[in-house]
Amino acid sequence: MVVTVGLLLMNACSEEFLEITPNGSLDQSVLATYAGVDALLIGAYSMIDGIDASFSWEAATSGWVYGCIRGLEANKGTFSGDQPDINPIQSFSESPTNPYLNAKWRSCYEGVSRCNSTIVTAGMALEAGTIDQAEHDSFVNQARALRGWYHFELFRLFGDYSTGMYVPYVDQNTVQSELGNEVDIRPMIIADLEAGTDLALDMGGIGRFNKTVVQVFLAKAYMQLYQDYGSALTELNEVVASGTKPNGDPIGLAARYGEIFDIENRNFIESVYTVQYSVNDNSGAYNGGWGEVLNFPYKGGGSPGGCCGFFCPTQDFVNSFRTDPNGLPFLDNSYNDEEVTNDQGIAIGDPFVEYAGQLDPRVDWSVGRRGIPYWDWGPHTGADWLRDQSYSGPYSPKKQVYQQSQEGSYTEVGNWTSGWTANGYRMIRYADVLLLKAECEAMTDTDDLGYGEVNQIRARAANPAGFVMEDDGVTPAANYVVAEYTTPPANSAEAMTRIKFERKLELGQEGHRYYDLQRWGDVLNPNELPRILAHEKSMPWGDNLYDATAAVGPEDVNFPIPQRQIDLMLGRLVQNR
Amino acid sequence: MNIVIQGTTQGAVTDAQGNFSISVTGDDATLVFSFIGYSTQAVPVGSQTTINVTLTPDVTSLDEIVVTAYATQKKGDLTGSVGVVNTEQLVQMPQSNITQQIQGRVAGVTVVQDARPGQDAKVRIRGMGSFQNNEPLYIVDGVPTTDINSLNPEDVESMSVLKDAGAASVYGARAANGVIVITTKRGSAGQMKVNFNAYGGISTVGSGPDFLCNTQEMADLVWLISANDGTVEDHPLYGLTTNPEPTLPFWAADTDWFGESTQRGSIQNYDLSLSGGTEGANFYASLGYLDQTGEVIFNWYKRFSARFNSEFTVKDRLTLGENINIVHRSDHGVGNQAEQTAVTGGAYRMMSIIPVIWESGPYQGLTHFWEDGDWGSTGIANRLGNGQNFVSDATRDKDDKWQQLRILGNVFADLKIIEGLNLKTSIGGSIDMQYYTNWTGSTYEHSENTATPTYRETGQIGGFWTWTNTLTYNAQFGDHSILAVAGYEANKLGYGRGVWAQGAGYFTEDAFSFRTVGTAENLQSGDSWFNTPRTLVSQFLRADYNFRSKYYLSGTVRRDGSSVFGAENRYGVFPSVTGGWRISEESFMSSVGFISDLKIRGGYGTMGNQAAVSTSNQFYLYDGAPNRSFYDINGTFTGSAPGFRPSRIGNPDAKWETNVTTNVGFDAVLFERKLELTFDWYTKRNVDLLFNPELPGTAGNASRPYFNVGEMLNTGIDAMATYRMISGDFNFEVTATMTTYNNEIIAIAEGIEFFDSVQDGGNRIGATSRNEVGYPVGSFFGYDFLGFFQSQGDVDDHATQAGAEPGFLKYRDTDLSEEIGPEDRIHIGNPNPDFTYSLNFNVGYKGFDLVAFFYGSQGNDIVNQNRWWLDFWGSFIGQKNVGMLNDSWTPDNPDAAFPKASAKSNFSTSQEYSSYYIEDGSFFRLKNLQIGYTFDNAMLGNIFSNLRIYIQGTNLFTITKYSGLDPELYQPSETVFGVDQGSLPVAKQFIVGVNLGF
Repeated sequence: MVVTVGLLLMNACSEEFLEITPNGSLDQSVLATYAGVDALLIGAYSMIDGIDASFSWEAATSGWVYGCIRGLEANKGTFSGDQPDINPIQSFSESPTNPYLNAKWRSCYEGVSRCNSTIVTAGMALEAGTIDQAEHDSFVNQARALRGWYHFELFRLFGDYSTGMYVPYVDQNTVQSELGNEVDIRPMIIADLEAGTDLALDMGGIGRFNKTVVQVFLAKAYMQLYQDYGSALTELNEVVASGTKPNGDPIGLAARYGEIFDIENRNFIESVYTVQYSVNDNSGAYNGGWGEVLNFPYKGGGSPGGCCGFFCPTQDFVNSFRTDPNGLPFLDNSYNDEEVTNDQGIAIGDPFVEYAGQLDPRVDWSVGRRGIPYWDWGPHTGADWLRDQSYSGPYSPKKQVYQQSQEGSYTEVGNWTSGWTANGYRMIRYADVLLLKAECEAMTDTDDLGYGEVNQIRARAANPAGFVMEDDGVTPAANYVVAEYTTPPANSAEAMTRIKFERKLELGQEGHRYYDLQRWGDVLNPNELPRILAHEKSMPWGDNLYDATAAVGPEDVNFPIPQRQIDLMLGRLVQNR
Repeated sequence: MNIVIQGTTQGAVTDAQGNFSISVTGDDATLVFSFIGYSTQAVPVGSQTTINVTLTPDVTSLDEIVVTAYATQKKGDLTGSVGVVNTEQLVQMPQSNITQQIQGRVAGVTVVQDARPGQDAKVRIRGMGSFQNNEPLYIVDGVPTTDINSLNPEDVESMSVLKDAGAASVYGARAANGVIVITTKRGSAGQMKVNFNAYGGISTVGSGPDFLCNTQEMADLVWLISANDGTVEDHPLYGLTTNPEPTLPFWAADTDWFGESTQRGSIQNYDLSLSGGTEGANFYASLGYLDQTGEVIFNWYKRFSARFNSEFTVKDRLTLGENINIVHRSDHGVGNQAEQTAVTGGAYRMMSIIPVIWESGPYQGLTHFWEDGDWGSTGIANRLGNGQNFVSDATRDKDDKWQQLRILGNVFADLKIIEGLNLKTSIGGSIDMQYYTNWTGSTYEHSENTATPTYRETGQIGGFWTWTNTLTYNAQFGDHSILAVAGYEANKLGYGRGVWAQGAGYFTEDAFSFRTVGTAENLQSGDSWFNTPRTLVSQFLRADYNFRSKYYLSGTVRRDGSSVFGAENRYGVFPSVTGGWRISEESFMSSVGFISDLKIRGGYGTMGNQAAVSTSNQFYLYDGAPNRSFYDINGTFTGSAPGFRPSRIGNPDAKWETNVTTNVGFDAVLFERKLELTFDWYTKRNVDLLFNPELPGTAGNASRPYFNVGEMLNTGIDAMATYRMISGDFNFEVTATMTTYNNEIIAIAEGIEFFDSVQDGGNRIGATSRNEVGYPVGSFFGYDFLGFFQSQGDVDDHATQAGAEPGFLKYRDTDLSEEIGPEDRIHIGNPNPDFTYSLNFNVGYKGFDLVAFFYGSQGNDIVNQNRWWLDFWGSFIGQKNVGMLNDSWTPDNPDAAFPKASAKSNFSTSQEYSSYYIEDGSFFRLKNLQIGYTFDNAMLGNIFSNLRIYIQGTNLFTITKYSGLDPELYQPSETVFGVDQGSLPVAKQFIVGVNLGF
């Protein structure tokens, strides 16, 4: 009897018994508050490095693969078998099935998705009265600016003007099943970024977007997407005149070139927007520059990081820093007439004579090379810093590398390398702003065609206090000679030649090069990448590094749309080539 | 032989010659002669003074009582497909986990081993029917569970495998992968019995691979590669490549890394059980201890188990009882099928030139200033790769320990309402507590080092409960037999929570006693979890009817509600119907002399699977995690601000997967009961399979919901034959089983024809397996390797292929596009065997017994992923196959087994996955050979009721063409298998044991 009653009772409550809601998660309604929307927005910001537990170096925002290696500033490095999917990217033979492309695509759209959930939830919160209109607008404008940036990144990688195949634009109203890529989404990108320019200058946090940051992105988008230098110049003029960092602090050029890349200085005056990496923050290093973790010298205990020997600068890049007797670059590309001496094939103990010719001092902040002091790690000793010198060539990366004194405090502890750092990616730094402004002046034939801006940057480079010094602290590590231009450019073309070269020297290894060439139409014409590729293939390590058939073709001005995405979108996404 | 006077407890036993004497009270006495395995015979004494009795062997198992769903039945009365495990054979295998012992014991059950002590084998009943979850349901003394690894095999009384819907469908939404019903031992009225079993032995995985380069051969290989590639350099290990010969560095060792990473294993096992009872009460109690040392250094596993089962009958009406199993398990585990394991990390990634311990110091290496006694590893010099010294890592980690305390059991009450009608209620479940520690010491010796030591401690608790109520009616009306069960069941599964914390930086790394998370310099990270449980509520009905044990009809139906599905799809109904016809009972069959018993049977029904879906599937969710959504918005450098992200897209419309099974079979007993055959043919159509199709990237990266979109078809046969022969002192029994399943994917999802799978554990070449409509699960997919390019002309004549060179891999241009690209990839192999089979021989002669158990798998392909590491220089620097030196392609060696030795890594060498890696994985293995001797009780003065000693060897030989260490691969993933990523080989064991009864 008791059992029978029990059975009946249980029948009665079985519906309730079967209602189980998940533990450890929240639904959207709970997040429709000020704190909730802000947390969703922080989640949207957190994809700006390209990384979360699902995405690693393939998706890095720092552009070491897509901006630098593809731009032939650097090669994959390490040895042939590691991350072989980069090999076709540097040999201009990547297929649509290359997993790097798919990861990058997915990472960017994950950022977009987070922006959209922020925007929708902010709307819910406004309706519920938990935030006011101004708060709502600030949240939404930040999210829209971020969304604009994620789409901009996708567009410059995968959008193709010649075929009219772009990338899908996803906003909070998008019906996934209707998406395609035949719509020109540039106006949407501009609109999202324009919304971001309504933000305040002081956003109360260094990691947020403010008006200035978004204005730079907007200018970049005008330049990259429309070659609209006039509109870009308007934004950049305002940035230079009255821009601030997201916390309201002033922006400007740092006094010494090398100090820009010191982790300590990541939010220094030079930084307009730095991606805020953090270490030992319980993220298992996912917030600590995971995207760049492979890109440290490979000497283990005796050198920084200990892993993994990727991202080795090219000889062409190093040669570019040669200067003429006036301390000016070889604008006619004759810098390759003479190779900066390297220690390729020279054993560690054997004598090596460093290059004695004139060099722009920025080379030794951009590149680790034998005999030159490498931060506080002592001099780079050559082949033992490389994983396989016969494959990667003799150079090591440097700008993102931490100092010995920073190990453990600004690096993640307790894992297979120390190469997770707080050295946030300098996504926009002031020198970039000045050079973009110079470019706009040159292209629109206004002001001094960028003469002043270029010289401002060269003057900073020439500050001896910013040279790499030998151990004594007073002797320059190499024969550094760099000077300002003494004559204004005669015309727009000459100005552009100077500006293009200056960007290579100033912003090298910082993820810009391939996109710059794209913008200028210089990937193939005038033969820029084929010229450099031919030079690099002629290096002793070139045969091992590049496929014999590597060649830059007309389709190599962007990347193919990932095949996996074409498959998943059931024909609505069309390949761009 | 036992002799008792009928109706009394007076009795006698025969001596060794079979003689006996007994006093009877009069002529009307009847003597009952019995012996295990023989028919009991009753002989009226009458006036005889000498009685000669020859017992006939009772060898058929048809009268065996089999435990089935919520009932017990005579085996001869089964209409569904039920495989009965001989539990005595089960425990013959000296293995530490009962799932490992099931292999080869039942037709229709495929068991994939894990060679590590204590680890679960994968048990698959009739192939695979789900992309997500193929685990059978286990019912232990009436309690459903998915985990039986805490059971002591010695405690198992019976084990039945319910294979088709007719047998299993009454378990409804949990039955689709088959059900294994287990009962544990009980006491019986009479004298108390004490049993003691013990065995011990050693094990070895042998000397490992014999195909690796030694130190000199590796240097020579580098010279060959430099010559082939035209590379000129000052090699950091061997000097200028223009020298005629490589010079070995002074510190060069010649290490046998496999030997250093493995050891001789050992096993010891002790079981003591007591059982007994009186009229109204019985009990069974046991203690077990298993201590196994694995074949990988520092690996061990221990299990203490206790069981107490008891039953009390009150006034012949109410039976109360309990079954409880308490187990403590602990181990220092090792990896399998992954990069930093003994096989891959030890043997395949470390060159022999590297010393285990440095003895050549002092020396300035790549990562360290070496002094004698330091560990040697890849940090000694450039070009040693990034492998890690397995011995040094394992030594540092040796104190890591996992431990578990699990209690599994139930209490029950059974009320006899009237004769034949019983109401039973049972409440059971488990509590499972685990704790593990993981030390990662700092290293100096590797090329990639860990600078700061960390220590992680993890604790968790979990469990489930089940409340089952059944009303059973069992009656015989003349020629009609009826068994009916109605039931109600409620389950709450998978509740629990856990927490871990990790400290970084330790004052000393040597003192184990100092190691806690709290003594670290920094409390580095931590996390916790809170499982979302699932609940099920069910009603069910089963009815079995037979007429004169000649015509059988049986039906079951179950209705399940599950919390993991939305309200609209919460309930499912799973019916089945089976029938049987014992032809041998028909009069027209009486003339067919060789048939003793023949029954044909068939059935149809559906079963469900709800385990394939996450408990959160119906919900749209947001969550935050430091590694997912936190961002250092305030620029602190060392702390990130909490953020949220969409974590899951919900699908409230999902429902259970359904398995529709048709089964036809027969059971036959032939030739004077000497030969028994059981045969089943089945089709198993798994529909509404849950699959979480990858969404386009534009939808974001939140967890994808499961939809009921897939479909799979399995067909196959299970066959089992037993032949018995007894001739005087000699008896002989052989049992053969055969299992086949043909799996075909019918549908995955709308618009999705395939999905690719990579095996867990790391694979640097990408997906090996493509699950595609029209092909079996796990089918291998890649380029079709045709051979090596023989000349530049051959390269030019062939379709354009990136990286093509003479001596490199040539792929088939399957689409005839004159260009080799992704669309040329085809299905190139099948990891599913054509069939698996076993043979078990049991031979007895007087006191001697011999068991030989063979197991084999035929027609399955293996991807020998190790060849990616070993056959190509451009994969990763590390150990290489000596064939690269001796038998690699050159113009003078066009029929070489290995490609041209070259450092190039490209499309035509190591970057693509092709049939180059595929091998035949068929094998035939002597799993067990055991010779025992049972002592004559009389000889021992009747102190023992039983004394048997035995010696045993397992896995003594294997016949296979597979070139890797062992074709019997551990399987870490569901939709990809048959991939050898350094699978730990099964060891040979040598055992001695004793069975003792009082």
